[in-house]
Amino acid sequence: MKTSSMNTSGLPQWTDQAKQLLDESARNLDAAALSRLNRARQAALAQRAPRRRAAWLFLPAGFAGACALLLAVDVWHARRPQTAALPAPPAAAVAGNALNSADLDMIASGDDMEMMQDLDFYAWLDAQDQGNSG
Amino acid sequence: MTHTIALTAPATWNSARVDAAHTGERTLDQFLKSVERRALRMAELATSNRDEALDLVQDAMFGFVRHYAAKPAGEWAPLFYRVLDSRLNDWHRRRNVRSRWLAVWTHNADDDDERDEIAQAPDSNDPGPLLRLAGDEAGQALNAALARLPLRQRQAFLLRVWEGFDVAATASTMRCSEGSVKTHLSRALAALRHELEDHA
Repeated sequence: MKTSSMNTSGLPQWTDQAKQLLDESARNLDAAALSRLNRARQAALAQRAPRRRAAWLFLPAGFAGACALLLAVDVWHARRPQTAALPAPPAAAVAGNALNSADLDMIASGDDMEMMQDLDFYAWLDAQDQGNSG
Repeated sequence: MTHTIALTAPATWNSARVDAAHTGERTLDQFLKSVERRALRMAELATSNRDEALDLVQDAMFGFVRHYAAKPAGEWAPLFYRVLDSRLNDWHRRRNVRSRWLAVWTHNADDDDERDEIAQAPDSNDPGPLLRLAGDEAGQALNAALARLPLRQRQAFLLRVWEGFDVAATASTMRCSEGSVKTHLSRALAALRHELEDHA
């Protein structure tokens, strides 16, 4: 019966020599190939590194930025002139100043603008009429 | 006292993190350095082209670092070869499509089923096919024979014989069953033996 001599891995003995030959071929790669492998390895590792470095850089930078912003807001508040609260206007003045809808209509209609410009004259005329009638 | 603790604790933590990151990067660099030559030879045997092999190894390194660098270092080797195997399969598939479009059919036995690889078990006293070849000649003959193997057979041979993976790890790397690995390996051993004996 034919049986093959096996190594410890349960593979034919001659595969040990094949392994040695393959190891040798990997050891004897030329400088150009090794250089390209080195660049490929560095490039692969670099794709991972920036993300972590950026995170470490941005953390203190973000903290410093937030502090600067807080400081700027604080300084701006401190330097802003403090204006005293204005007294509340009297209720009568508010009522007098308030425009009613009739006033707004008058302002809106262009025809009455001439009359409004001579308002003093019409007030005097009205007073004269009332005097004459009384 | 409280302030001292509050200030020193994060610094220690950061330092530990940075040290761990540097150590991790160094370990990863050393791992890639340890596999890159064999990976290049594997890719070269699959493509018969140095430039394409280098591109494939670079792709595999990128894919491995992107997807598996965070895994425990003990699991890296099968994972790296899984990525490389995937790249080699993709390359092989693309080449086949190209070949079909060009209507060039080469009987290079890419289909595993084409060959009837019933292993002819040698006599126990047989030193094996490689010992009959000397020095460089043996290396060249092995290279040529490996290059002629179908992709899956070659991968099974290289992972089991060269990388020293067991059947389960090889199956996981090649994403196939253990039975398939045994079949591929058996056929690869028979084909290599046949080729090398012819050469001798």
